[in-house]
Amino acid sequence: MFRRILIANRGEIAARVIRACRALGIEMVAVYSEADRDSPHLEDADEAVCIGPPRSGESYLKMDAILQAALQTRCQAVHPGYGFLSENPLFARRCELQKTTFIGPPARALALLGDKAMAKRTLRAHGLPTIPGSEGVVATAGEAAREASRAGYPVLLKASAGGGGKGMRLARSEAELPAAFAEASLEAEKAFGDASLYVEKLLEGARHIELQILADSWGRAVHLGERDCSIQRSHQKLLEESPSPAMSPEARDALGRRTAKALAAIGYSGAGTVEFLRDARGNFYFMEVNARLQVEHPVTETVTGLDLVQRQIRIAAGEPLGIAQEDVVLTGHAIELRINAEDPDAGFRPDPGTVSVWAPPGSVPDVPEASVRLDSHVRAGYVVPPFYDSLLGKLILGAPTRERLLDAAARAVLDFRVEGVKTTLGLHARVLASAEMRSGDYGLGTLDAILGGHAWRS
Amino acid sequence: MAKLIFEPIGSPLASFVEADGAAKNRRAMVALEARIEEGRRAVRDGWGPSYAERVRKKGKMATWDRIEALRDPGSEVFPVGTFVNHGLVFGEEKKTSPGAGVVTALVRIEARWTVVIANDNTVASGAWWPRTPEKIERAQEIALRLGLPVVYLVDCSGLYLPEQAHTFPGRTGAGAIFKMNARLSDAGVPQIAGVFGDCIAGGGYMPIISDVVFMTEQAYMVIAGAALVKGGKGQHITSLEIGGPDVHVHLSHCADERVPDDAAALARIRREIARLPGSAAAYYRRGVDASPPRHDPAAELSALFPADHRLAYDVRQVIARLVDDGLFAEVLPETGLEMVCGVCRIGGLPAGIIANNPLLTDHPEREAEQRPGGILYREGIAKISQFSRCCNDDGIPIVWLHDISGFDIGLEAEQQGLLGYGSSLIYTNATNTTPMISVLLRKASGAGYYAMAGLPYEPVLQLATPLARLAVMEGRTLAIGAYRTKLDEEFKIVAATEKEREEIRQGMEAVEARIAQDMDPLKAASRMDVDEIVLVGELRARLENAIELCYQAIGRRRVKNPRIWSLHDLAIIARGGGGRR
Repeated sequence: MFRRILIANRGEIAARVIRACRALGIEMVAVYSEADRDSPHLEDADEAVCIGPPRSGESYLKMDAILQAALQTRCQAVHPGYGFLSENPLFARRCELQKTTFIGPPARALALLGDKAMAKRTLRAHGLPTIPGSEGVVATAGEAAREASRAGYPVLLKASAGGGGKGMRLARSEAELPAAFAEASLEAEKAFGDASLYVEKLLEGARHIELQILADSWGRAVHLGERDCSIQRSHQKLLEESPSPAMSPEARDALGRRTAKALAAIGYSGAGTVEFLRDARGNFYFMEVNARLQVEHPVTETVTGLDLVQRQIRIAAGEPLGIAQEDVVLTGHAIELRINAEDPDAGFRPDPGTVSVWAPPGSVPDVPEASVRLDSHVRAGYVVPPFYDSLLGKLILGAPTRERLLDAAARAVLDFRVEGVKTTLGLHARVLASAEMRSGDYGLGTLDAILGGHAWRS
Repeated sequence: MAKLIFEPIGSPLASFVEADGAAKNRRAMVALEARIEEGRRAVRDGWGPSYAERVRKKGKMATWDRIEALRDPGSEVFPVGTFVNHGLVFGEEKKTSPGAGVVTALVRIEARWTVVIANDNTVASGAWWPRTPEKIERAQEIALRLGLPVVYLVDCSGLYLPEQAHTFPGRTGAGAIFKMNARLSDAGVPQIAGVFGDCIAGGGYMPIISDVVFMTEQAYMVIAGAALVKGGKGQHITSLEIGGPDVHVHLSHCADERVPDDAAALARIRREIARLPGSAAAYYRRGVDASPPRHDPAAELSALFPADHRLAYDVRQVIARLVDDGLFAEVLPETGLEMVCGVCRIGGLPAGIIANNPLLTDHPEREAEQRPGGILYREGIAKISQFSRCCNDDGIPIVWLHDISGFDIGLEAEQQGLLGYGSSLIYTNATNTTPMISVLLRKASGAGYYAMAGLPYEPVLQLATPLARLAVMEGRTLAIGAYRTKLDEEFKIVAATEKEREEIRQGMEAVEARIAQDMDPLKAASRMDVDEIVLVGELRARLENAIELCYQAIGRRRVKNPRIWSLHDLAIIARGGGGRR
């Protein structure tokens, strides 16, 4: 097992990895930019190294600084967290060459999956159903139009090198297509340095359901069930739950096995999430693979009882998976609420500042059987820096039934006192109280509908 | 026609050995074999089951278990040097070193034969005894000559220090192991190392020159253990901390990959071997399948060798039971009758055989005169000399089956210049590049042993049966020489009194007994004068493996296709074809 790991990330995920290292008896080195100098999680690390000024490009994204920090502090491995360099094939390759084990999939898997068009083609060849659309990238608006006609409008034009909703445009008809193509290309070029687009049919009323996969470096992989992440705003997830109200055990088993097998076949190792869209008729379509640990991983941890970060580390150290698919059992229900420092009433503008009061609930009095977990780096007095994402923490609850879970979540949100910055807590209260949430009949358009004050049709 | 005619040789056992004789021969053989088998068991047990238990309690595998996990399922393992250091004890505590504390064997991994060199962690934690380096170097030499990949399974606590004077400084001492590592690499022979535990000092250097090094979580490589590091005791540092995978995989890059445990390391080694070029043996079989001998060697060979070592047998019957389908293309059968040589297939691959004929044979010139077998006369020397040259030209591996007392002696032998003919043969063998395998079937005496490409002539393997008698001369001959003045023309004792006769007789017996001790194949194996003792019933399988080893690597030696063998020229010339008679 590694003696020492460098955590190439910040905020709540850095705190999360520190916790896993401590449980495994591994020393940890944390890195920080000047803006994160006072981040509370640094005290929990064995060593902390400053890697640059506040801007991500000069700190958390600076490969040289991180690689050097790992060497200097004699680390055997680096955990990239999520975002930043976690899916960067060049970073993974440089770690490989430096013999600082990258805790994640091999560089060539990252390269394959990072090219969204290539990933779609490859995984379709391995038996996963894909959304109707272009085979690969479309070179011109004309080609895009031909593909769009074949797939059927409305279509999305999506950046091949992209993610997170950038470089994406909707075209409802042939008339809208040329403009959509031009805008999406431009945005893709700016955001990712690569203007390539592919065409995908827009599935209306769809749900975003993703499968958590765990694979080892010996060719074995299992699925750990799904998470429903349909509550999104501008392609940003707000809330996630497992199991999905729209997933039957048969569908889970069939799709899960096929997906695990496909990832193993392409040489994936570590934790990975495969995102699907489920249409109103219950068909699943592969969207993309997130070749890293996800923000919402605690939801799966709660229903399976597995510690995914510890598993990542052990897999990276060459351990075999040690879990057969039959060993994976989903018990109860879990939900995660992202607590962002944002003002929902002001267009979700980030609200940096000082968190004067941070009083999370420890339990839910009305629902004593519920588990409450908070993944956060924040303590009272924390100053939220304006340079990074606005995630303060994640409130994760688990309960034996979905109904009790929602009761517990609603109560916990009320009991959670945060002052000094605006947060999404109030919004969570509205969502949890909504009819769609209670019934479980919701989709990608639901949050917008709730915000807009109108109903959502599945 | 540029082809050799393969004819069946050999007949059913019952047709040339009577039932009583066969039973007697078998009994004698069983007794000899029992010693060897018991010896093998003792070596396999190492220092005892408690040592293997100790290893397993640490979560590690015992050495033979590692080899089991490494080999292709269903394949046989062929050890080399099982009996090195047999019968010896070392140090004041009189410790034994079974197998010199290291297992060296031919192991099939992913359909490729490899040389595995594995410290025996059930014997003094895999330490190096006198002859351990030489045993390892012999295995490395076989790999180098035949281009076979080498797998090191390292689990070695360093030199057994009380005997360091015999293992450290010499030309063939421990340092020569690293020299061989370098030469193997220089010659493009793949080397893969798994480090499973201690790897101290000498042990520490062994893996580094290898192409790929795997370390388990329990493995460490250190120039010196923590005990010798100043201040180490006060700081409570361990060898694992200073030289474990945390340091050598990630920081110093002296090792390539860390794996959780022994089983994972062995799986990774198999994967590396699978990445290497495959065996060329199928290519060189040229569409001819391997086929067993027509008569079963395991069942019959032990009945064929007389219980009394002075009695003769038909070596063609032995050959018939070692070659595919019992088919043999004998070369120059009318010349040099005391030698049998020819080409056969063993495991579908071409091999040359040169064997002593123990039977009486006709004198080439003097009618009605016969000469004893197991001796080299002029014609036999010339025949096998030329045959050896042809096989070398053609890239055919040669199997030498020894049962020889020596060269002919006396006036005729000297006048004919057997010294010269014999030297020509030795010159040929000494400069051959085609692989040679020496098998001491029975007698291997004096210059005859040299003429038959014995160990100094660098066969890639020298095997011995339990019948082997390797010495400068037979005990009887030596006794005759020592007591010459007391013997008559017929070598019978001449004595004045019964007491004197008895004294001389006992004296001669003592001389014979001493040589008999020296000739014991177990002693020879202990000294590394033979590579391995093979039961006669195992000989066929062993030769099949040895020949396949000769054809696995491609591009390392000349292998002519059979159409253009030099041997065909020999057949034409022997017929005297062409000119007017």
